[in-house]
Amino acid sequence: MYGFEALTFNVHAGYLEAIVRGHRSALLTAADYNNLCQCETLDDIKMHLSATEYASYLQNEPSPLHTTTIVEKCTLKLVDEYKHMLCQATEPLSTFLEYITYGHMIDNVVLIVTGTLHERDVQELLEKCHPLGMFDSIATLAVAQNMRELYRLVLVDTPLAPYFSECITSEDLDDMNIEIMRNTLYKAYLEDFYRFCQKLGGATAEIMSDLLAFEADRRAVNITINSIGTELTRDDRRKLYSSFGLLYPYGHEELAVCEDIDQVRGVMEKYPPYQSIFAKLSYGESQMLDKAFYEEEVKRLCLAFEQQFHYGVFFAYMRLREQEIRNLMWISECVAQNQKSRVHDSVVFIF
Amino acid sequence: MEEEEVGSSENGEVPTAKQEEEGEQNVVKFLDSMDSYLNLLDSLSSTLRQGWLELASARHSMGASRINSTLFDLKHHAASTSLQVTQHDVDSIMNQPHFTLCKWTSPDNKKVGSEEAKFDEDELLQRKSTSPHLRHRGMQYSEIQEKRLESNRSPRIVDDQVQKERSKTLSMFGALVSPKLRAAQLSFETALETLVEIANMRSSMLSTHDQVQKVLESRME
Repeated sequence: MYGFEALTFNVHAGYLEAIVRGHRSALLTAADYNNLCQCETLDDIKMHLSATEYASYLQNEPSPLHTTTIVEKCTLKLVDEYKHMLCQATEPLSTFLEYITYGHMIDNVVLIVTGTLHERDVQELLEKCHPLGMFDSIATLAVAQNMRELYRLVLVDTPLAPYFSECITSEDLDDMNIEIMRNTLYKAYLEDFYRFCQKLGGATAEIMSDLLAFEADRRAVNITINSIGTELTRDDRRKLYSSFGLLYPYGHEELAVCEDIDQVRGVMEKYPPYQSIFAKLSYGESQMLDKAFYEEEVKRLCLAFEQQFHYGVFFAYMRLREQEIRNLMWISECVAQNQKSRVHDSVVFIF
Repeated sequence: MEEEEVGSSENGEVPTAKQEEEGEQNVVKFLDSMDSYLNLLDSLSSTLRQGWLELASARHSMGASRINSTLFDLKHHAASTSLQVTQHDVDSIMNQPHFTLCKWTSPDNKKVGSEEAKFDEDELLQRKSTSPHLRHRGMQYSEIQEKRLESNRSPRIVDDQVQKERSKTLSMFGALVSPKLRAAQLSFETALETLVEIANMRSSMLSTHDQVQKVLESRME
């Protein structure tokens, strides 16, 4: 029952909540980002990061550094922290933590299938997979010719199996089918995660419902904008939207028929939480939309830490770390390309 | 009068007024083409910088797993854009190479693509001699659109086909890609056109330089 988590939460998850709050306090601050934004080279960035918790992951990397190296090492740190939490967690927290990684699993599946379609070497593709989304039989994905085989040979024994029911066809895999498969899987995953959080109840359900609804709405907007001018039909577009969220169902009906960014703006401005996001953009422009959505997401994720005794802090921490890694990637790219004037285009401060 | 006196003292091998005027025109052409060449190099540099940043921005937006080199298509497929090199006769001795870009000329789209590229190249050749200032893609594209309306082909069909070819090229990163990736594609496309302009300008510059050099050498003899 909501309100009595304080009596029992710490028995099983108190240690891990303390751990994750400790990790949260180690996130980079605005002062750290200001120092990083003034770096002249990637070695300077490495030097600044040596004063943070990334020190042990970057110290042995030889010069010259590459931006992908910085991102890989920072991601390794996140993976180590996640694995530590997962091995200490009991049910239902362990299942909750596993749910957080299914998005990466879907991305890895699509990467392997797409790369195989393009006749790339499987080993090369495996090196590019996100470590949080790895599973044992992932390399066998290269053998499948269509979605039915993909499911039957590999994915039936993975946590993604239940999400495949809407995707299974015997059509050969091509770029459009793979894209539809990606978005259909992600839709099924988000809905399943949402139902799981609702079943948990209490503060977890309340906080995670808000965060997952925002994720579903953001995906709907991105799918709409990215499909403008493509062969994706309105019906197919509508099928990719999740069945929950603030935009469900009337916003989805309007988004499905949008043909340009201004029509998308017209739909979204009817919803007060998204008015402020689109108010930051000028008409016809969508370049800063990603940053506006990330800023809103970070605000909501930080608010999750204001309440205790719920699992939302774990989800929030993982997402904030991923945002931090995105920030570091962008700063590194701007420094490497000598475009420091553009560094603030995409950096989202967390604190 | 002075010219004729000078002419008589140098045993008849003196440039006439017409030859001097041609020589001066060649020098002016050489300086103009050098100015255009330097402007185009600047333009190329800024277009490429913009393209690389837009690509990084697309990677930031879509994620590193969706934009990386392991997704490049290694299957055998026809080039969507090709370069033709022809030789133009400047005079009886010299040949000047001329470069023509044939954009979006996949086997299904060959006729439309090459005609559109010819339009682009006609525009480029006209601009080369008259206006050496920086060209902006938007301006070029709208001027080319005006030319298209004068022709018998429907502009809408050409635009749709070009758009399809662009989407087909980007499909290695997925069917639904961010507008930032499309912007990066346009930037690199502009850079490719600028490269061809640079090659033609350099060819013209070297040709006029040779002519000026020839005139100077003949006078020194």
